[in-house]
Amino acid sequence: MSVKHVLTTCPYCGTGCNLFLTVADGRAVGVIPCKTDETSQGQLCIKGYNAHAFVHHPDRLTHPLIRKGEQLTQAGWDEALQKTVDEIKRLVAEHGPDSIMVLASAKCTNEENYIFQKLARAAIGTNNIDHCARLCHASTVAGLLQSFGSGAMTNTIPEFEDADCLLVTGSNTLEAHPLIGARMLKAMEKGAKVIVVDPRDTPLSRIATISMRQKPGTDVAWINGMINVIISEDLYDHDFVAERTSGFEELRELVKSYTPERVEEISGVPKQHLVDAARIYATADKAMIAYAMGITQHSNGTNLVRTLANLAMVTGNVGKESTGVNPLRGQCNVQGACDAGALPNLYPGYQGVEDAEVRAKFEKAWNGELQAHKGMTLTCAFNQAFTGEVKGMVIFGENPMMSDPDIGHIEAAIQKLEFLAVIDIFPTETAKLADVVLPAACYAEKDGTFTSTDRAIRVVRKAVDPPGEARPDWRIACELGRMLGNDGFEFDSPADIMNELAAVAPIYGGIDYERIDRENVRWPCPSKDHPGTKVLHAGSFKIGKGVFAIVEHTPPMEETDEDFPFILTTGRNLFHFHTGSMTRRSVKLQRESPEPYVEICSEDARQLDVLEGQSVRVSSRRGSITLAARVTDWIRPGTIFIPFHYAEAAANRLTNNALDPIAQIPEFKVCAASVEKA
Amino acid sequence: MRIAFEEMKADRLLTARTEHGNVAPVLLARGDEPGELRTDVPYQMANILLRVVPYLGSDKIAVVARRCDEKAIAEMSKRGLLDSGKISLIGLACDAEQVSECRCSDPCPSKVHIGECVKASPTDKVVEDLLAKSISERLEFWTAQFRKCNKCFGCTSNCPVCFCDECLLEEKTFTPEKGIPPGFAFHLIRSIHLADKCVECGECERACPADIPLLALRKMVNRDVKELFGFVSGDGETTSPLLTTLDGDSMEGDNDVC
Repeated sequence: MSVKHVLTTCPYCGTGCNLFLTVADGRAVGVIPCKTDETSQGQLCIKGYNAHAFVHHPDRLTHPLIRKGEQLTQAGWDEALQKTVDEIKRLVAEHGPDSIMVLASAKCTNEENYIFQKLARAAIGTNNIDHCARLCHASTVAGLLQSFGSGAMTNTIPEFEDADCLLVTGSNTLEAHPLIGARMLKAMEKGAKVIVVDPRDTPLSRIATISMRQKPGTDVAWINGMINVIISEDLYDHDFVAERTSGFEELRELVKSYTPERVEEISGVPKQHLVDAARIYATADKAMIAYAMGITQHSNGTNLVRTLANLAMVTGNVGKESTGVNPLRGQCNVQGACDAGALPNLYPGYQGVEDAEVRAKFEKAWNGELQAHKGMTLTCAFNQAFTGEVKGMVIFGENPMMSDPDIGHIEAAIQKLEFLAVIDIFPTETAKLADVVLPAACYAEKDGTFTSTDRAIRVVRKAVDPPGEARPDWRIACELGRMLGNDGFEFDSPADIMNELAAVAPIYGGIDYERIDRENVRWPCPSKDHPGTKVLHAGSFKIGKGVFAIVEHTPPMEETDEDFPFILTTGRNLFHFHTGSMTRRSVKLQRESPEPYVEICSEDARQLDVLEGQSVRVSSRRGSITLAARVTDWIRPGTIFIPFHYAEAAANRLTNNALDPIAQIPEFKVCAASVEKA
Repeated sequence: MRIAFEEMKADRLLTARTEHGNVAPVLLARGDEPGELRTDVPYQMANILLRVVPYLGSDKIAVVARRCDEKAIAEMSKRGLLDSGKISLIGLACDAEQVSECRCSDPCPSKVHIGECVKASPTDKVVEDLLAKSISERLEFWTAQFRKCNKCFGCTSNCPVCFCDECLLEEKTFTPEKGIPPGFAFHLIRSIHLADKCVECGECERACPADIPLLALRKMVNRDVKELFGFVSGDGETTSPLLTTLDGDSMEGDNDVC
C-alpha cells in the first residue's frame, strides 16, 4: 500500500501547468493542483483535473503489432524493431534517404524530439523531419523570425495579468488555454481593456470591452485598418519606430487605403469598433497581443503573423513587460519540439540546416556527414507520398488521419506508402493503417521536459510504469538509431539527452536537470549562470531592427459559391483535445461533450429549417460528414464551426489543403461548405 | 514527525513539504526521511485525506489539520466516510494572514500543536458589502461573476465536503453539456447542496481560476441555515436538520438525534 503525489506537467495545452498526479498502488488515480506553481497557481482547467483519466485505459497499446495481411497481429519487440529497421534500410538503399519521412510529436518530450530529429538526420540521413507545429504555428515560427528574429512568444504567461490592454484574436483562450484565460480575467478585474476579434463569440469575447466578429479570411484588412487609424491619428510611437524598426514609410503608404470604411466592407467589422479598438490598443501603456490558430491557419498565415507584429511595433509594444506578440501554442510540447529541431529546415535551437558553418558543427557533434539541403514539411510529405516520391514514414505520436486537412487525401497517400510505422499510446486512426505499431509510454510513465508556450522548460516526472511492454519513445528511437548502425544513441536517461541538446543548442545552453528540478527557467538561457529570459527583444531585436512587412489583403483560397454557400471554420472546444485520443477516453470530459456538432447561427438554421440537435449533413468539395446541429447566436451568419475532435464526424474530411507558401501551414480556418438536413 | 509517530502512534503522516522547489502534499510512513516540512501553504488536507484513505487499509493516519480541516473531517466521520478512530489530528493554528484571506470566523483548532491562535475575523467584508446591496444588484453581481465560470470543477474537486457518489453537477438534466459558462443552476445547486456541510475552508474560492467569490456565497447560505435551523456544520455529533425526519419533534435545534 502506498500513495504518493508526483509533481509533473499537464499533457494537454501549451500553458505548462504543473500538477500532482496522485499515485496509489502504482496507478494514477487523481490530480491535485500545485499551489506554488508559478504558472497555474494552484488552479487547473477541467482537462488538467482529468489528466490521469486516460492513463490506464484498456485501449492502451501494450504489445508491438505487425501487419499480416489485413490484420495487425501481436509481435515481439525484437521482431517489430528489426522489421522497421529492415524496411528503412531497404527504402534508403533503393530510393535514397529522402524517400523516408519521420514525424516527431508535440506530445513527446524535448529529449524525445531531439532523438527523433537525430534519428532522421544522423541515422537515416535525411532532413525529412517535421511535426504537427506545421499544422498550428509554423506560420508563427516563420513570421516572427522574419519580423523580430525569434519565432517564439515574446513575453510570459504571468505578464498577462498586468497588461492595460489585451488584443486577443483567433484565440478562444478561455477554452483552449484556460489558465492563460484566467490571467486575462484577472487583468480585466484590475481594469484592463480587452479587445477580442473572432468570427465566433467566445466566452472571453462575451465579457470583453470590444468584440469584433470579422468574416473569416479578412484579418490582414482589419489589422492594417487598425494601423491606419493609429498612424492617421498620430497615436504611433515615434521614438520606437525611428530607433528600432525599418520600413515604416512603406507601411504608412500601404495602410492608407485601409480606411475604416473599406475595412468594414471587406471584413464586416463596424468602422466605429475598429476605430475604438485602435485607440484603446495604441493609447494603453502596456498592451499585449495574444493569438492562436485563427491567425496562423490560413493560406497567408505567415504574412498575417507579420501584420500583427507590425501592429505591436508601430505602438512600441515590444520588448517591455506585459506587451509583445504572444502566440499561444496548443500542445504541451509544441514549443519544445520546434526548439529541439523537429523541423525540416532547422537543427536544434533554430540553427539553419543550409548554413555550412552550423552544419559543420552538427557533423562534428554527431560524428558523420549531414545532408546539405532542407527536408520536407509534413504537409508536403503527404502530397509526395500520394505521388510516390515518399515511400516510407515513421510516425511518433501523431494522428494525421484526424489532424491533417482533407483526410481522404491523407488516407490515399498513406495507402500508397510501402512502409508505415506508428509509435503511439492508443490504436489511433493512423495506427490502424500501419505496417508496424509500437506501444509507447505516455507522459505519466516517463521522465523528460516539455517547453511551455512561454519558453519555460517544465519537468515531466515518471509517476507510474507503462502498461504491458510499452516503452518510452526516447528508448524506442534510440534503439532504432543503434540498429541502423549509428553510435550516437547510447543514452541512459533523458537527463543525458538534455545534456547533449544543451551542448548543441545555445538557447538551452544553461539547462540541466539539477537546475530545472527546482527552478522554472525560460530560454534563451545560454549558460549555467544565466537566469533565463522573460521578455524577448528588450533593447534590440535579434536581427537588429524589427522589420515591417508590407502585406495586402488577399481573399482565402476557397470562397463560397452557390453550391457551398457557408464558410466552415474549425477548432477546439474546452472539453476535448485535438484528435480526442486521450480526452475522448476520459469519462468526465466525454460526458461534457459526447458528440460531434456543428455550430450554425439561428438565422441560417431557420432558413434551412434545421432545429437544435437535428442531424445535418455538412459537405465541402472534399467530403461529407453527418452530425448534430447546435443552433446558436454566437457565430456570424454565413459561418459554421465544427470542432475537430470527433473521429465519427471528422471535420478534416472537409477542410482544404491549401497551403501558406512560406510556412506550408494548411488553411484549416476557411473553406466553403454546404449544410442540409440529413 | 515526533507527534505523529511517537505521541499519536500513527502509521502515516499526511502533511506538506518542500519538493522540487515547490510545496507538495506528502504522505510519510514511519521511518521516512521527513525533508523540509511546510505548513505555510494551505493545501486542503481533509480533501486529500479522503482521497488517500481507501488505499491505506487499517493504517492509522495523523493529519496536520487546520480548524476547517478538523470540521470537514468531522462532517466526513459523521457520514461514515472516515473511521475517526483511525485519524489523529495535529492541530495547526492559522496565522493572521491566512485568517484575513479567508475572513475566517473560527480559525483555532480544538487542540493546537503548531502555531498560535490568532483572533477570528469579526466580519466578512465581501459578504457585508453584498448584503448591503439590493436583491437586483446582487443578482447582477452574481450574474457577472458566474459568466466567468469555465466549468473546471475545481470548486468540487478540491472541496472537502463534496463526496457524493454521483455528482448532480455532472447530471444532464440540471447542467446540460453545452459548453461554458454553465447555467446559474450549476452554482445554485452546489450552494444548496453544501448548505449543511460547508465548513468555510475557502478552497473553492482559492481554486477558482475566475476568482469568483465562492466563499462569500457559501457563507451567505450558511448564515441562512443557521438562522432557519440553528445549525452550524463542522462537529461530529450534530446531525444535519436537513437529514432528520419530518415526523415528530420540530426540526429547530434538532440536536439530540445522532
